[in-house]
Amino acid sequence: MSKILIGRYLPGDSLIYKMDPRGKLLATVLFIFIIFLANNPITYVIITFFSLVAVAATNLKWKIFWEGIKPVIWLILFTSLLQLFFTVGGTVYWHWGIFALTSYGISNAIFIFIRFTVIVLISTVMTVTTTPLEIADAIEWLLIPLKLVKVPVDKIALVMSIALRFVPTLFDETFKIMNAQRSRGADFNNGGLVARAKAITPLLIPLFINSLSTAIDLSTAMESRGYRGDEGRTRFRVLHWSKFDLCNLGYFLILTALLVIFRTH
Amino acid sequence: MTKESIVNIKNLSFTYPESSTPAIDNISLNIEKGSWTSIIGHNGSGKSTIIRLMNGLLVPDDPDISRIKIGDTILTEDTVWQIRDKVGIVFQNPDNQFVGATVTDDVAFGLENRGVSREDMIKIVSNAIEAVGMSDYANSEPSTLSGGQKQRVAIAGIIALKPEIIILDEATSMLDPEGRNQILKIVREIKEKYNLTVIAITHDIDEANSSDQVLVMDDGKLITQGSPKEVFAQVNLLKKLGLDVPFFQQIKNELCNNKINIPDEISSEKELVQYLCQLNSKM
Repeated sequence: MSKILIGRYLPGDSLIYKMDPRGKLLATVLFIFIIFLANNPITYVIITFFSLVAVAATNLKWKIFWEGIKPVIWLILFTSLLQLFFTVGGTVYWHWGIFALTSYGISNAIFIFIRFTVIVLISTVMTVTTTPLEIADAIEWLLIPLKLVKVPVDKIALVMSIALRFVPTLFDETFKIMNAQRSRGADFNNGGLVARAKAITPLLIPLFINSLSTAIDLSTAMESRGYRGDEGRTRFRVLHWSKFDLCNLGYFLILTALLVIFRTH
Repeated sequence: MTKESIVNIKNLSFTYPESSTPAIDNISLNIEKGSWTSIIGHNGSGKSTIIRLMNGLLVPDDPDISRIKIGDTILTEDTVWQIRDKVGIVFQNPDNQFVGATVTDDVAFGLENRGVSREDMIKIVSNAIEAVGMSDYANSEPSTLSGGQKQRVAIAGIIALKPEIIILDEATSMLDPEGRNQILKIVREIKEKYNLTVIAITHDIDEANSSDQVLVMDDGKLITQGSPKEVFAQVNLLKKLGLDVPFFQQIKNELCNNKINIPDEISSEKELVQYLCQLNSKM
């Protein structure tokens, strides 16, 4: 179980893996904005096509992306259905009370469905091809402007990387405590909600205490290894832009340009 | 010829804030450059406290009376970072000293703290990782490594800083016998290679027996010190303190009690066996 990690990174070596995490993170965030440029069938076709090409470029199984959509599929369908029955305008095909099936409703429902689905797809592309550590580095880079207002970005970055590093350690710890409590008769799987919540307490308290003592040990070790805040620190891990990021940028610019050209003004 | 001293401690006392009795009670000691010193004593005897005082993680009760000298530098508030460049500590718990997200990141941590340029770091880090035989795992995450491998990474992180002293604070106590032997082998290798002084807190009596000097601590006091031969000959004292004695010493002691005299210079199991065989053949 110690292999559990935040996110769903899957090892691979396709083009998208070689792109800089900063570029990927930025493109993913901006994608959510430019998607609103699409406002007619042709722009939605373009955006769907570009997303599917990005998915195909990861060279991973389609099933992985379906796994990404599955948890939110009901939310997407529900929102689409609301659009379908509550939008007014265009030709009315059917209506009953407050419900109406109109041509605008149908197209809006399809648009909303596509919009949600491609956002999930693109963020899945990002999370499966980028390690949590790379994402943390990219977030740090995005935070750099905050240094101007005296936000301790380097410290936040160190905290993020230590937190990520200790996730598997804490999982191991949790399973050890769980087994220790089970061997003494604790029951984590039966009973109602309240009983189960109560069973968690003897798990959380030792875990919490262990984490504190780990934190104390770690700070002693860090101090002993010469850590004294950000002053005069250099960085070992640095990110490099490469020609692959030009692909990322180019792809993104072409998509934006096409959306701007073909949208209804 | 007296050898150069690397650690010189005079009148060292230390009391933890919430405690009424001192954890370290007026200790003075000397450690020679290039030697391997073992500190033994039961839990709570002050072993870990004294090494934390040596690199300034803890501050003595009265810095005017207590004096800690590492090489030519006296430990003060101003020199503490200088001292930490010279003294590297490998702690007991392999997980709780692994700061970096991967092996290379962790080895680089100490160098980052000292503002070493990235080009230099890349070279130093790969050499240090190679020195502990972890090159195949350079990009591994700590959760995929065994305890022994993590301790090897901790050692690499220390030798990257080119210290003069490496302290093992029960660094092998959480490892299996194989991991323990590997760590000791690596430390012996790098000790020779980089001319290091090793101070090891240990419960492993055989490890203590193979060192140059043994310090015995109890209740914050230095009870006795000397070569393993001198220290382990005091079987009754060690037993009174609840400490183990190497097996051959116990036999030697029992034989002496039974009027079979074994010469003092016998200081290993092998020598004892040889002596006993010859003793037999004379009869």
